Amino acid sequence: MEVVVSSTGAVIDPMDFKVSEALKEVQLDYESPTLTKFIDETISSIKQLINKIPEDLKVGSDLAPGFIRDVNADKFEFSFKKPAAIEIGGSYSIQALTKPSTSIDLFIRLPKECFHEKDYLNHRYHAKRCLYLCIIKKYLKASSRIKKIEWSTFQNEARKPVLVVYPVQEGVEIPGFCIRLIPTATSLFSVPKLNLARSNVRALSKDGMAPQATPRYNSSILEDMFLEENAEFVRNTFLGWKELREALVLIKVWARQRTSIHAHDCLNGFLISVILSYLATASGGSRVNKSMKTIQIFRVTLDFIANSKLWDKGLLLQPQNQSKLSKEERKQYQQLFPVLLCDSSSQLNLAFRITKQAFSELRDEAAQTLICIDKYRDGGFEEVFMTKVDFPAKYDYCIRIKADESKEVYASGFCLDEECWRIYEEKVHSLLEKALGDRAKAIRVTWKNSPSQWKIEEGFSDFSTSPLVVGILTSSPEKSFRGVDIGPNAENKVESQKYRKFWGEKAELRRFKDGTIAESTVWECQQWERHLIVKRICEYVLSRHLALPEQKLTCVADQLDFCLLHGGKDSISFHGSLLAAFEVLSKRLRSLKEIPLSVSSVQPLDSAFRSTSVFLPAPHPLAKEKVKGRAPQELPSTCVQPLEVMIQLEGSGNWPMDDVAIEKTKQSFLLQIGESLQKSWGSPCVASEDELNVLMSGYAFRLRILHERGLSLVRKKVGNERMRRITSGDTELFIRGQHSSMINGLLGRYPVYGPVVRLAKRWVSAHLFSSFVEEEAVELLVAYLFLRHLPFHAPSSRITGFLRFLRLLSNYDWTFSPLIVDINGDMTSKDEKEIYENFMTSRKVYEESPHNLDRSMFLATSYDKSSEAWTKYSPNSSELKRMVAYARKGAELLTDLIVHDQTDSQKTWKSLFRTPLNMYDAVILLHRHKLAFPQRLLSRPELIPGEMIQGKHVAEGEASKDFNPFMLRGNLEEMKDQLMVNFDPVRCLVEKLKEEFPETFKLWYDSVGGDAIGLTWDKLESKKRAREEDDDDQNDKRQDPVDVLRNVGEVGRGFVRSVYLFKSPRLQN
Amino acid sequence: MGSKRVVTEKDLKRKEKLKALAAISKPKKLSKKKKTLKVVNNEDITFEPEKKSSKLGGKKKRKEDSEIEEDITCEPVKKGSKLAGKKKRKEDSQIEEDITFEPEKKGSKLSGKKKRKEDSEIEDKSEGVPKRRKKDKSKKAEKKETKALLLSKSTSKPVLKRNESPADEVYRITSGDEDCSKGMKKWMTEYRQNRPGLKELQRKIDEFIVAHDKREDEAKKEREKATEIEGFTVVKHHKGRKKTTDSESGTAVGSVSQAAVLDKMAKKKSKEVGIDFYRFQRRDAQRNEIMMLQSKFEQDKKRVQQLRAARKFKPY
Repeated sequence: MEVVVSSTGAVIDPMDFKVSEALKEVQLDYESPTLTKFIDETISSIKQLINKIPEDLKVGSDLAPGFIRDVNADKFEFSFKKPAAIEIGGSYSIQALTKPSTSIDLFIRLPKECFHEKDYLNHRYHAKRCLYLCIIKKYLKASSRIKKIEWSTFQNEARKPVLVVYPVQEGVEIPGFCIRLIPTATSLFSVPKLNLARSNVRALSKDGMAPQATPRYNSSILEDMFLEENAEFVRNTFLGWKELREALVLIKVWARQRTSIHAHDCLNGFLISVILSYLATASGGSRVNKSMKTIQIFRVTLDFIANSKLWDKGLLLQPQNQSKLSKEERKQYQQLFPVLLCDSSSQLNLAFRITKQAFSELRDEAAQTLICIDKYRDGGFEEVFMTKVDFPAKYDYCIRIKADESKEVYASGFCLDEECWRIYEEKVHSLLEKALGDRAKAIRVTWKNSPSQWKIEEGFSDFSTSPLVVGILTSSPEKSFRGVDIGPNAENKVESQKYRKFWGEKAELRRFKDGTIAESTVWECQQWERHLIVKRICEYVLSRHLALPEQKLTCVADQLDFCLLHGGKDSISFHGSLLAAFEVLSKRLRSLKEIPLSVSSVQPLDSAFRSTSVFLPAPHPLAKEKVKGRAPQELPSTCVQPLEVMIQLEGSGNWPMDDVAIEKTKQSFLLQIGESLQKSWGSPCVASEDELNVLMSGYAFRLRILHERGLSLVRKKVGNERMRRITSGDTELFIRGQHSSMINGLLGRYPVYGPVVRLAKRWVSAHLFSSFVEEEAVELLVAYLFLRHLPFHAPSSRITGFLRFLRLLSNYDWTFSPLIVDINGDMTSKDEKEIYENFMTSRKVYEESPHNLDRSMFLATSYDKSSEAWTKYSPNSSELKRMVAYARKGAELLTDLIVHDQTDSQKTWKSLFRTPLNMYDAVILLHRHKLAFPQRLLSRPELIPGEMIQGKHVAEGEASKDFNPFMLRGNLEEMKDQLMVNFDPVRCLVEKLKEEFPETFKLWYDSVGGDAIGLTWDKLESKKRAREEDDDDQNDKRQDPVDVLRNVGEVGRGFVRSVYLFKSPRLQN
Repeated sequence: MGSKRVVTEKDLKRKEKLKALAAISKPKKLSKKKKTLKVVNNEDITFEPEKKSSKLGGKKKRKEDSEIEEDITCEPVKKGSKLAGKKKRKEDSQIEEDITFEPEKKGSKLSGKKKRKEDSEIEDKSEGVPKRRKKDKSKKAEKKETKALLLSKSTSKPVLKRNESPADEVYRITSGDEDCSKGMKKWMTEYRQNRPGLKELQRKIDEFIVAHDKREDEAKKEREKATEIEGFTVVKHHKGRKKTTDSESGTAVGSVSQAAVLDKMAKKKSKEVGIDFYRFQRRDAQRNEIMMLQSKFEQDKKRVQQLRAARKFKPY
């Protein structure tokens, strides 16, 4: 960890500093007199209101008939008495309230007079508890000081509702302030009656059978009975211990960022405070002591959660020697609950809601966080406290199940020992665990209930309207995308029977290579569909065993594939044939004899070779050595997208010295190579003055020569004088070669990297950022997600990866941090230091002009330590700002799409890639059927009247008849002549426009396949403006925008469909 | 005395450069004339009505610029016929409601109104335009001719004048299939022209290289000549043989790969004294280190302030 010395000599650790800042953000100021006064007044007024409720009111089940019916309680009546006590409890009482949650717990001790001693039976306690609250609600509602009262639940348990009261008056310092009224049952019942082994729910005991124990039901009542005692215990530990309090707040912040562990079946604020108290007292071996700093306590606690062996034995809040818990009792606890955290009375397992899966998740998260703290910069502050680890970003696959109407959920009643929702969660989990086997590393099932508008009077049927969400973390690509699962051997009759029962018609008997005959399931699919196997398995098993109709089940896996498909097929399937063609080419090049210098190395440069381009070109039927047979079935495309290949020649001293001559010599070499390829193997070559394309096996390879010497010349220059002229052709080639091989290596390690990059690239270009973001920059950004994946695991599904890409773009602190992508993991601290220095120099100008940063997106790699390769000139600050804003909206939408069922017809997966055109000053729409590859267009409705209505229709153009993206059938040789290699009308138009209108506007376009070009007027810099005023030359700048746009249309004659103007340029004065 | 008179190659080069600069500066004067001509043109334009409206638009834009973030919606814009700029932001929450009522109609009504307004404005002002123009003409009668000249010149450029079609009408662009001065047709012909075949390209390159060599030779000779004319002889070291070794590494050029040479060079022990040899050097280094850390801390502090302004510490 770095340590910084301040000018006064005090040592400050960046992590400490940031943590203290974060603490200020989330904590309340308990010293503030206005705040305490406000809270005290509000609470005393509520107390008063409750105390004013007339006693001896007759209370019957008619107050909440639905609730009584659904908990299946007996009939009863009682008369209302005042609460025995009303006291502040919870986090406010230990000054550990953590924003944004600003609710204060108020314990309402239920009066003994309202209960019989046998009320612990058959949910009678729960029913009375609810009715008691109903009365309070009724009277509070009538008060003018209360804005509204809502029902909520205690730890998501439906049978234990609580009231949330919002006062009319609102505190300035605590937005969203509310008070939770939580009934407690201190010493209402005899504790032994609620022993774990006892059965207290009649509905469970069947005729002639021994009554079934109800441990969870009993715990639910015991919890209320000891609530105050335990709160007291916690309060005593926290009293006057600032660091411990702060550590509690920090852990709360940490846990809340992680949806999978801050849940009803895992951690909550109270449990965290209990664990901390345990560690701070003698019973926990005083692992936390008063000499520790906040962050140390945080660390120790996480370490305890992640690594301690004590969890297996169970934690006891009472010191060992005083413990009343016998060995047998402890054993009993451990059999019933995966986690044991016995309270100070030794009567109750406080962790009775924690499930096994949730707990292992918790330990995993804690372990990951510890790694972050050790390894990442500034103690991993960003990753630990600021990064949201929610379901969509954490898990590779998310499944939503809309089971609220499924009868199976409530078949045996809402509440028995456990509530039906928890039972269903467990069922789904065990099904998926069995179905996926070692494909999944972890499966998490949660069903969050407690809707805000819950009407308790109507019972539980409306309780869980939100869907059940499953998160699946896959293990490794080989396992999770396996095509065949081998089951039990055919000879094992019992197991085979079970297997068949589970898999149904999917199970088949198969004979394998090693001779065994076994039951198995086969998930046949194309290579490019393998990421869907997990989805298919889940869907099959869930719908088979839960009797769920298809529309109730949503598995997020393939929803974004539409934007990578080309004619219903993923172009990645051409990768094999492309590599084969490249192999042949490279062999032929090496064996060429007729050129003066032989070819020493051949290296692929294009992203298609590393399967990271959005669309890999399909083999073209005419781009071949010999075109045989009849014309192809489909109409072949006119344009062929060339793939760049870098070659090196053996060394020679005869190369010329100046740049122009070197380039000409290279071209001359290329022509000779082309000619001899044509002669020896008949591969046609298409050449212009600055490129050579070889057509082979359906692909066009564009050859480029790297001249080593030119490279070293330039390098020396860079060494002497920084930032001087470095982008010569050779340097560019060299860097691209380096990049290409590094990314190739990365792909070997993470197969999902490819699809994620392709989605990211598609997104970047679909939002018209093609002119500002290099392909390679996107590749590096995505690489960063895989290399620096903490606090997550490296993504193994494309949607998760894509979501994290959007979040990285939107959350990264681009202004103040360089993004270091250490692809090979071989960067030394010296390298890093160098990068930081380079970064600092690039940010020197920040103070003067924060809006005009040099390399606003600083991407450093081991081959480019000063971010000069890809992001030197663009995106600039304003372009980056726009991109960040788009990414933020995109990430929000995507998250929403994954977790929630959509009712809004505007929120669709497709809209993620549909850019709002009215965000530009003007828009040029192109003729779609004149694009080089019209199939790549994302479906955008042909006519968008709504979108264009506020724009002014400036010009409309006819389509050219000359160009057709598809060839008509004809003579094969003639068709071959019509091929156009590296011809792209969009690129032509953009280039011409830039030429024709320098410094007039900025162009936003889509290089992958879009029919819209956005246009924003350039702002004139003030200096330039002044100079121009002197020159009296403002003609161009003052030109009417309509005229400009008409001229723009003229430049794209035959291609431009229409031009719209949204905003006129801003002018001086 | 003699030392003064020696003219080095450097001096010659500088002279050449100056000459070249002088050559460039001449045509600049010419271009100024053109500029003054353009001004006339410009004044005419300022009387046109759209000018003003566009200025207004400019102001609006400045405001909106800062709010880009809010404005952006990734929702499909199909239905999201957002109403024009200002209104939209004011009633951000209401917009959705607005949209649910037939959005297109509303939008079109609005734009219709706008159009009508603009129309009337144009009519109003277009009456004024000719009068004023007459005045201008009388004043600048002399410049009229030159202006006409300029216009005729500019027709070759893609400059369109307002009088071709009124501002509100949608301008029609032809498909351009007939002439190939612009657009798709032109790009295609350019594409074909640039690919005359391997033989032809090779010939061009050969020509270039021959010409290039010749140029180099001539330039050399000329330089020598120039000095001779002034009565000096250039004293220059002529290498006896062709250069086959690299001056820095001392290896034969082309025989060993560059990487190998660099590697070898790196392995050579440097005979220079290390930078931490003397005590004062070490002390300096230490001081520098501390200064660096200090500045880094200051930077961190500044950064934190900025971050706080941007609410980067708020974990929710």
